Amino acid sequence: MTTLSPPRRGSAPAHPPPRYRRPLGLTRESWLQYGVLLLLAVLVLAPVVPTLYQSFLDRPLYEAGGVLGAGNYVRLFTEAGFGRVVLNTALFAGLTTVLSLLIAVPMAVIVVRTKLPGGRVFAAAMQWPFFISSLILGFGWITMYGPAGFVSVEVRRVLGFLPWDLYTIPGMALTEAVALAPIVYTFCANALRQSDASLEAAAQVCGAGPLRVLRSVILPLLRPPVVYSSILVISMSVETLSVPLLFGQPVGIDVFSTFLYRNGLQSINPDYGVLGAASAIILVVTITLVALQAKLLKNAQRFVSVRGKATRPRPLDLGWLKWISAAAIAFYVVMGALIPIGGLVFRSFTQVFTPLQSPFKSLTGDNYERIFTYPVYVQSIVNSLLVAAIGAVLVSVLSLAAVMVARRSSFRFGRAVEYLALAPQAMPGIIVGIGLFWALAFAPFGLGSLLQGTLWVLIIGFGLRALPSGFGSISPSIMQIGRELDNAARVSGADWVRTFTRILAALLRPAFAGALILTFVTLLKEYSPAVFLASADTNIIGTTMLELWVQGNTGSVAALASLQIAITATFVGLAGLLLKGRHQKADDNA
Amino acid sequence: MPEVKVAHLSKRFGDNAVLRDISFTIADGEFFTLLGPSGCGKSTTLACIAGLEQPTSGSIAVGAATFVDAGTFVPPEGRNLGMVFQSYALWPHMTVAQNLAMPLKIRKVDRREQDTLITEALGKVGLAELRDRYPHQLSGGQQQRVALARALVYSPGVLLLDEPLSNLDAKLRDQARAWLKRLQTELGITTVYVTHDQEEALALSDRIAVMSKGDMVQIGAPEEIYERPATAEVAAFVGRCNFLTGTATGPREVRLDCTGQAVAVPGTAVTAGTRVTVAIRPERLEILPPGRTAPADVNVLTAQVLTSSYVGARHEYDLRLGDHVSEAETSRPGLAGEVTLVAEPAAFLLYPTTDALPQDVEALITIAQ
Repeated sequence: MTTLSPPRRGSAPAHPPPRYRRPLGLTRESWLQYGVLLLLAVLVLAPVVPTLYQSFLDRPLYEAGGVLGAGNYVRLFTEAGFGRVVLNTALFAGLTTVLSLLIAVPMAVIVVRTKLPGGRVFAAAMQWPFFISSLILGFGWITMYGPAGFVSVEVRRVLGFLPWDLYTIPGMALTEAVALAPIVYTFCANALRQSDASLEAAAQVCGAGPLRVLRSVILPLLRPPVVYSSILVISMSVETLSVPLLFGQPVGIDVFSTFLYRNGLQSINPDYGVLGAASAIILVVTITLVALQAKLLKNAQRFVSVRGKATRPRPLDLGWLKWISAAAIAFYVVMGALIPIGGLVFRSFTQVFTPLQSPFKSLTGDNYERIFTYPVYVQSIVNSLLVAAIGAVLVSVLSLAAVMVARRSSFRFGRAVEYLALAPQAMPGIIVGIGLFWALAFAPFGLGSLLQGTLWVLIIGFGLRALPSGFGSISPSIMQIGRELDNAARVSGADWVRTFTRILAALLRPAFAGALILTFVTLLKEYSPAVFLASADTNIIGTTMLELWVQGNTGSVAALASLQIAITATFVGLAGLLLKGRHQKADDNA
Repeated sequence: MPEVKVAHLSKRFGDNAVLRDISFTIADGEFFTLLGPSGCGKSTTLACIAGLEQPTSGSIAVGAATFVDAGTFVPPEGRNLGMVFQSYALWPHMTVAQNLAMPLKIRKVDRREQDTLITEALGKVGLAELRDRYPHQLSGGQQQRVALARALVYSPGVLLLDEPLSNLDAKLRDQARAWLKRLQTELGITTVYVTHDQEEALALSDRIAVMSKGDMVQIGAPEEIYERPATAEVAAFVGRCNFLTGTATGPREVRLDCTGQAVAVPGTAVTAGTRVTVAIRPERLEILPPGRTAPADVNVLTAQVLTSSYVGARHEYDLRLGDHVSEAETSRPGLAGEVTLVAEPAAFLLYPTTDALPQDVEALITIAQ
């Protein structure tokens, strides 16, 4: 403390801060922030605006001389029979929601709050939908429980009849509920883990038994996550394509997504007006649901009782009931996911798959061979990987930029950036497909013909759908980084851009890696926008599977599905190892 | 080292005004403290000086450079100020030396000079040997000094300190305070210090600005703030104080509500019949043991000792004065029963009646009859 240099008095600063360039009078951060806003606005509005426009136009929007009017909406409900579709969708969504709540809520309570044999395994098992797309699950269910499914045939042989029919609205709803139950489970389990365990302790001290505690303390706590996840499940089952397409289409049960699929793709002369009107109505429904969801989540956060003090929850003991609970949960996991997926994988190695003849007799590699001998099928795998890889990088970068602007800048339209980044939640994949298809017809500078039929269109469409998950995975991490770290950099002379490159980029690396993995897997599973956007050269695994399915080539569908699951699992495993290795290295450095 | 001029600073969030017309000038080399309870606007004022908040109106200038004025807003990176944050805000992925190098790299200082400056700055705070440690490997006190070194390494024009001692434990805080004072005196750097700790403010500052609910209440030297608080609120916030309500009966006399007794007060302009609040510091209330007579020209009050507490260097007594509890401080132990209180007229501070004390405190010091 003796080496003090005398301060300079009244002179210019010894080390003046740098001057940052201001192209056209705007700082670099303004350029960047407006850029992100503009890009997001274009991406989000590109599919929406042409759809709305088309819905009021009396002819395809690329034809000249269109007249605006509400004729399409009238035709939609008269000629096209949209009323029936609305009813089906409501039934399907409602039933799906009820069933997924029935499966997931008791499961969450039992796994998180009671002593359950194998509780950890069950908690981990609930993550299966991360690896398996609903399309593949649909294939699996049909393979096992469909009219000619493996299990169905056996049951019919034993009982003489089949007590269920998958190709009905309840059958569709059950399958969809099995696929969506983990979402409800996640919300409820998180709420239960975060809630204050001393609330239960207080009830126990007052003399309440385990069941009483469950009924009077735990279940009321679950109201917010139940309401929230119900809305989420409703909006997801309103927009889903896979199960209705595979189960409902053969027997003529139409819901929103399959209505669009049939009218847009399968009719020889598609009525674009009706298609537009239907899309517009569906968009209104999904946007309302997502808005409701956002509002509820905001309110729900007030209910969450998070304390700084960590009280270790003491799990309740249910006695003999716990064995029944464990069996019930095991039943869900095994029958819902394990058997269909396992069966599908097994199917991919056999010629004929029926209990009437031991499948081991017809073991074969033919299904895989077919895929690898036809270049179009190989191409679709390559395409899927390309779309997922390039898309994951682009989406993660855009998500990171959007999070930075929305959460870590004084940008005037920061809130708008957040809404735009989350808006695709309300856009069903098939509508993104139709909308982008129309948007390409509209695009200026010949951009449309440049992009049409390329992988880039798929990357845009899929990426748009994955954007909310990218944003959602990075945003919490950035909130955990104290704002004073940014402020310290700003005061030290770094502008907004440099604060990011020098400080936040390094701190956000793990979150960015997480977003990359998440979006890669999401993009690999995605297919619905491609139904309208893919050309013969740009088929991806999902569209190829649908094609093969229609041709009745179920063995190859099973093979492709198995490949997709294998790719996902390998990627997640490798990424996990890589991240873990990095963490250890970082710890060694520290 | 330039002077800091803040004029008519206002900041509103929607309808909520967090700063109202704040003006002050800090002299070259001065240690200036913004003091007030949480939510009074002191941190917002500091953030406005740093450029981390944009005021709704008003101007801020340091030396010849105008930072904020109508149509002008210099972002934080253009202001060349040094700042220490409450959480220290050391970048966790960089070593101590890298933390200090960041502002120098941004300023494109050449490598050799960087090294000299870093060594010099770490020397100032006595941490030269810790340059290759990561922040999480340092104690709280060391982190605080690194943060200070990082704020000083590029010789900023003004040093801004946002409650830098509040995260240290009590013992260390006292030592850090003394050390900080020495360092600031040696460097002679203009310093703006934000704290809610009145003791810290009194001990460190050349001048203190007391803020309350977005208003600037009083600016003055520590003695002035303590001896002549501008409002009852300042008196209550800085140091401890007894408040008694009463009615003025003449220019130099107030009849107290609690005992009905008239006391002499310093001359003021209040007219007879006005309601007033009389304030007196506990150490200015002298307790006479029974039997001793009070000197002339002083106020004499009779009180009962309720409780006494021994707090180390002195004794504090809770006294019953009519229906009111007052505190007195003395070095004399073992007083009990009825005592005589003596207070010079000059020791009384006179304020127009306000609710200086929150209601719950008021309830605690009132005795039901």
